[in-house]
Amino acid sequence: MSGPLLALRDVTVGFGGVTVLDGITLDVGRGEIRGLIGPNGAGKTTLLNVVCGIHPPHRGDVLLDGKSIVGRKPSAIAAQGLGRTFQTSQLFRGMTVLENLMTGLHRRTRTGLLGAAFNLGSYRAEEEQAEAEARKALEFIGMAEFADRPGTALSFGQQRVIEIARTLIGDPKVVLLDEPAVGLSLNRLAEFDRLLRRIRDEKGVTLILIEHVIRLVMDVCDRVTVLSTGRVIADGTPDAVRNDPDVIEAYLGKELRARHTAS
Amino acid sequence: MALFGRRNILLALLLLGAAAPFFVNSYQLFVANLIVVFVLLSIGLNILVGYAGQLAFANAAMFGIGAYGTGLLQVHFGLPFWMAFPLGAVIATSVGLAISLPALRVSGLYLALSTLAFAEFTRWVFLHWESVTFGAGGFKTPPVSFEPLPVSKPVGLYYLSLILATVLVVLAQNLVRSRIGRAFVAVRDGEVAAESLGIDLLRYKALAFGISGFYAGIAGGLYSAMLNYVSPEGYDLFQMVLHKAMIVVGGIASIGGSVLGAFAVVALLEGLREVKGVQEIAFGAILVVFILFMPGGIAAFLRRKVRGWDEPVHRAGPPPNPDPAAAARPASEAARP
Repeated sequence: MSGPLLALRDVTVGFGGVTVLDGITLDVGRGEIRGLIGPNGAGKTTLLNVVCGIHPPHRGDVLLDGKSIVGRKPSAIAAQGLGRTFQTSQLFRGMTVLENLMTGLHRRTRTGLLGAAFNLGSYRAEEEQAEAEARKALEFIGMAEFADRPGTALSFGQQRVIEIARTLIGDPKVVLLDEPAVGLSLNRLAEFDRLLRRIRDEKGVTLILIEHVIRLVMDVCDRVTVLSTGRVIADGTPDAVRNDPDVIEAYLGKELRARHTAS
Repeated sequence: MALFGRRNILLALLLLGAAAPFFVNSYQLFVANLIVVFVLLSIGLNILVGYAGQLAFANAAMFGIGAYGTGLLQVHFGLPFWMAFPLGAVIATSVGLAISLPALRVSGLYLALSTLAFAEFTRWVFLHWESVTFGAGGFKTPPVSFEPLPVSKPVGLYYLSLILATVLVVLAQNLVRSRIGRAFVAVRDGEVAAESLGIDLLRYKALAFGISGFYAGIAGGLYSAMLNYVSPEGYDLFQMVLHKAMIVVGGIASIGGSVLGAFAVVALLEGLREVKGVQEIAFGAILVVFILFMPGGIAAFLRRKVRGWDEPVHRAGPPPNPDPAAAARPASEAARP
């Protein structure tokens, strides 16, 4: 299928008279790694919540693979192939790492109440397969040895990566990563960079990276969209965006922009 | 499998339970039957509160609806126990499904309050809808007959309870370790994250409420037959406190713990029966002590101290035997994302 994988059309959201997103139109192509940056309060997280179905937009449309997903429940949107991760760790505390990953397989497994309660053969087969897949997913992120640990016993950075794996195992078409690099040290950043590329290249998953760590965005993204005060102020390759006067102004202010361009 | 592991202990309890009618007197048999009924209540409530994390206070009301449903269908419509009993459980299940609807809108304390209000409303109906429920005095139910089986009513009812409870414990154990159990725990530990993985909150909350309604309904039907009598005061707030105490003492989110909690609570209840007014105080104190000092209940204690109590899934807290190799590993490597 051609056309953009995820498209926003004139998406507008306001809270009590304050317009948080103002007519956002955006296309993300298949297999792209897209950066979404902007100063604090630009509307990045709101945009993510609109796409995931947590906030309904007041106007406009969101299309996933050509189909509108506005007004659907978050779980239904997830089932259509939209994955996400969170700013803070959202591993399920009462589960091991492996069980967390198996929970990520929820939408791809089918066992119902009776099958599970009566321990039917079909259920056991599905469960075995799920466990094998979860172990494979842990190998993919190089954390196989952590399978039986409680998720909360790991470091913050590890938890974030496991969360990404938990989303990926559900076989999404596109994953929105909400500030995944928070708390990563510089040498981990290069590793993380490679992981994102492998996800795109080996799994064929489109990624949207909402990130404050500009270096990561500029290194790994094919295109970068810059939001400021609820509008798209730039959209292009990392190099084009880096030198865009509007972007420099949004981040540094008018005066510094003058100094920046002068030097 | 360790000698004193979960499976062996539960199996030993079952064998002891199966042999009990041969060496106990009729009072002890009654208490044994009460334990079995409370095991059902404890497991149903633990699935809802412990696994799915819904802080609901309607379990005693569900128990009452099962008892009243079973009793009233026999008294008003002349249905035999063998039809009224499953229908009573179906009614309790449907009411459970119905009260899951507010759970989608409210959570935490607000869910606790709204389900508590529902429970009080149910009790009010039991008390005041006299033309149907016979009001505060309650009503007698026809005695259950186990003919043509050569057993007396108490023994027959005890074995019926024991068989049902055994089956339902096994089913619950299977369920909580399946994808459905994982969905419950996911809803408990993070609703937004659960939804982002395609888990439908309405579906799984309703399922948890329905299952706990079913278990409480079965328990209620058996209890009404045990007493041959149904009255409103059996299903009041103190009953709810007993149910909560079972899962707190036994262990939140543990099926094995639910069983042990039922034993502990019924034993204490019967032990304190002689001393009027002490039961309420004792259960309040026990709840506080366990919540403060043993938040995981007996199950968590056994998990730490005895081999083989490690439940197959949904472990909370650190593993019992941390891998020494991992501890010895340099900190820098352990922190690898």
